[in-house]
Amino acid sequence: MDLRAEFQAVVMANLDSLFGYARVLTRRTSDAEDLLQDVLLRAYRAFGSFDRKLSVKAWLFKIMKNAYIDRERRRRARPVEGEWENGDERATDEERGARTLPGEMYLYVPLSPEDILLRHLTIEGVREGIRRLPAVWRQVVELREIEGLSYQEIAEVIGKPIGTVMSRLSRGRDLLRASLQDLLSEREKTGAHDL
Amino acid sequence: MICKVTRAEIFQYLDGELSRGERAQVEAHLRSCPDCSRLVTTERAFRATYLDRLRPDPVPENVRERVIRLLDALPSRQSSPSRPGRLGRLGVMAAMVALVILGGILGLSVRDVWKGPNASVIQLADASVDQHQKLARGLLPFDIAMASPRQAEEWFRSKVDFKVSIPDLRSEHLAFLGGRISHLTGVDVVALGYRVNDKNVSLFVIPEEQYRRLGLSETPKFKVVNRRGYEVVVWRSHGTGYALVSEIGGQPCLVCHSPEEKLELTPAPAAHRS
Ligand SMILES: [Zn+2]
Repeated sequence: MDLRAEFQAVVMANLDSLFGYARVLTRRTSDAEDLLQDVLLRAYRAFGSFDRKLSVKAWLFKIMKNAYIDRERRRRARPVEGEWENGDERATDEERGARTLPGEMYLYVPLSPEDILLRHLTIEGVREGIRRLPAVWRQVVELREIEGLSYQEIAEVIGKPIGTVMSRLSRGRDLLRASLQDLLSEREKTGAHDL
Repeated sequence: MICKVTRAEIFQYLDGELSRGERAQVEAHLRSCPDCSRLVTTERAFRATYLDRLRPDPVPENVRERVIRLLDALPSRQSSPSRPGRLGRLGVMAAMVALVILGGILGLSVRDVWKGPNASVIQLADASVDQHQKLARGLLPFDIAMASPRQAEEWFRSKVDFKVSIPDLRSEHLAFLGGRISHLTGVDVVALGYRVNDKNVSLFVIPEEQYRRLGLSETPKFKVVNRRGYEVVVWRSHGTGYALVSEIGGQPCLVCHSPEEKLELTPAPAAHRS
């Protein structure tokens, strides 16, 4: 098969996912598009030697993560590892100031799934809950729950050991449930029913 | 009750991340532990109701369109890993030109910061912009037009004593107009005209010897110079030198500078972009 045609098919099949991940990383639509285009050109150059037995989506995500780190390094002229690589604590501090997360988000208050089911949260409500997660956890939660990547694939994408993936995922899920709890109380307070 | 499996293991079990042996252990525990069993049941319902139905947000339509354009303009390649000689070189060349041209269209950054003003490059850039304007206005007719890139290559082979590879980029957004033998700063070069998204782009192919006289460093690969509202990208591939001239999107420079005014050499067009 013509390599370009195959590449086009792969990209179009995964375009929403790719752009979604670019948005998680950059947090700005214009930067996300720039990153996406950069990644497509990089990926096409390497596509000929891509091992067809592996998940192409995970492969593209990994290229995107690396491209993102390269860009940030160039732009800020200082390592960005701190935010993404070095532990959740620093990110927590950064995110705490930047986001509208209530302090309770950081406590271990998982909402029981029963509770969520019983109270008829919509799918969009759950999606919004994921969007509100601090970036470090949002990243692994999206890769797992929305993109369906395995722990091993996530580890390769974010460049961290599997143990880190599991702890971030576990924390991220708890935070998500807490965040949903939060959305529900907001809804109950305002009487809105769109969540 | 005190459970033999942890909550983390339950989640790994649900995620399908346990080995067969571990899975059997968890299942054995679930049969004897109502608490864990309930956790698994509700967690499964939660996933079936919400998580399994989550899809990535759809990409905005304008982004999708630009991606389709980018994909269409990628150089065609066969999946065989190695191609000998000339074809392989053309492939590399085409990929590079596509990269630079696309970079222009899409506002993409293929550029690294280029340090150090170099008089000969500025001269080359100025001359390229002059020629580009003349080509675009039809003041310098093409020696060969209405031809395929292959035919044009064939034609140049008998006319110049250096190798001319003409990228064959098939895309509705990019058309090869023709080529001519031209003079840039007293040197014979091949000038190629392209139409990219309704804008003219000129590519100058410079003999190796002349390119070397520019005294450019190997890195960064692409040297980008902004002159009079145009972006000139200079680079070398397999010995041959190239200068690519295209309009800076929307000509923002001309808003505050007259076309005649010599603009300062900018290391990267970032100042004009963001
Ligand atoms: Zn138990």
